[in-house]
Amino acid sequence: MIFVTGPLYAGKESYIRRALGWDEADFRARAVRDVQELVPCDDLAALADRLAARELVIATELGGGVVPVDAGMRRKREQAGRLACLLAARADTVIRVCCGLPQLLKGEWP
Amino acid sequence: MLSLIIGGAGSGKSAFAEALCEKLDGERLYIATMHTEGAESLARIERHRRQRAGLGFETLECPLSLDKAAIPAGANALLEDLSNLLANEMFSPGGGGAEAVRRGLSRALSRCGNLTVVTNEVFSGGEDYGAGTLAFLRELAALNRELAARADLVTEIVCGLPNVLKGELP
Repeated sequence: MIFVTGPLYAGKESYIRRALGWDEADFRARAVRDVQELVPCDDLAALADRLAARELVIATELGGGVVPVDAGMRRKREQAGRLACLLAARADTVIRVCCGLPQLLKGEWP
Repeated sequence: MLSLIIGGAGSGKSAFAEALCEKLDGERLYIATMHTEGAESLARIERHRRQRAGLGFETLECPLSLDKAAIPAGANALLEDLSNLLANEMFSPGGGGAEAVRRGLSRALSRCGNLTVVTNEVFSGGEDYGAGTLAFLRELAALNRELAARADLVTEIVCGLPNVLKGELP
């Protein structure tokens, strides 16, 4: 599994689709994006296992700002970070995209 | 040469960008984008002026309309910063939105021998913002990606240290 992460609007999906040569249909069939929206959830490890069965998983980083005042938001961004760690551990390749530019954090370039 | 320097608040991106400009050729020009009003702005401007003192930068105040700025041909310019310029164009009276910034960058690129653009990493704190802020983030991200695609050098600054994303440091 390839895990792609990075800040909001960084061009994560465009970059990886170009790198893999995937069209819209390939992407829908083989990838899942915005997995940070699947939290909070009671069993993060099971969620990570389920997601890791896909070929490509994309998440947006949420943990870089000020700690939110709202408890629900705090739990969500904490879990989004934990989920990203679990996905990175399960991934063969981890790429972070910033300003549309990829950086390899684990494994080999696709 | 076009360089894009991105970093969070207090990451040392300005000092890094200034040091980068020192290594590049051309008449040094500091394109200052902050509106010169308000105590906090003035204090920040003063800190940046002290930091630049002795580096031989001419300062060009340009809170709006970069496309009309008097940039000498072949200048070694440091634009600080893109997010501020975009916020001015989007939210202050007389602003022309992201398109005005795009036009300005395009003109600056054609005038400068070396252009170094400082921009802000403000995209890792989630999406829990109002519509205006989200629109600003979308436009800034698009400008960042466009500049990164054209740039010779793109580096993120972390704790004052460069994490090079594209090209090589001179």
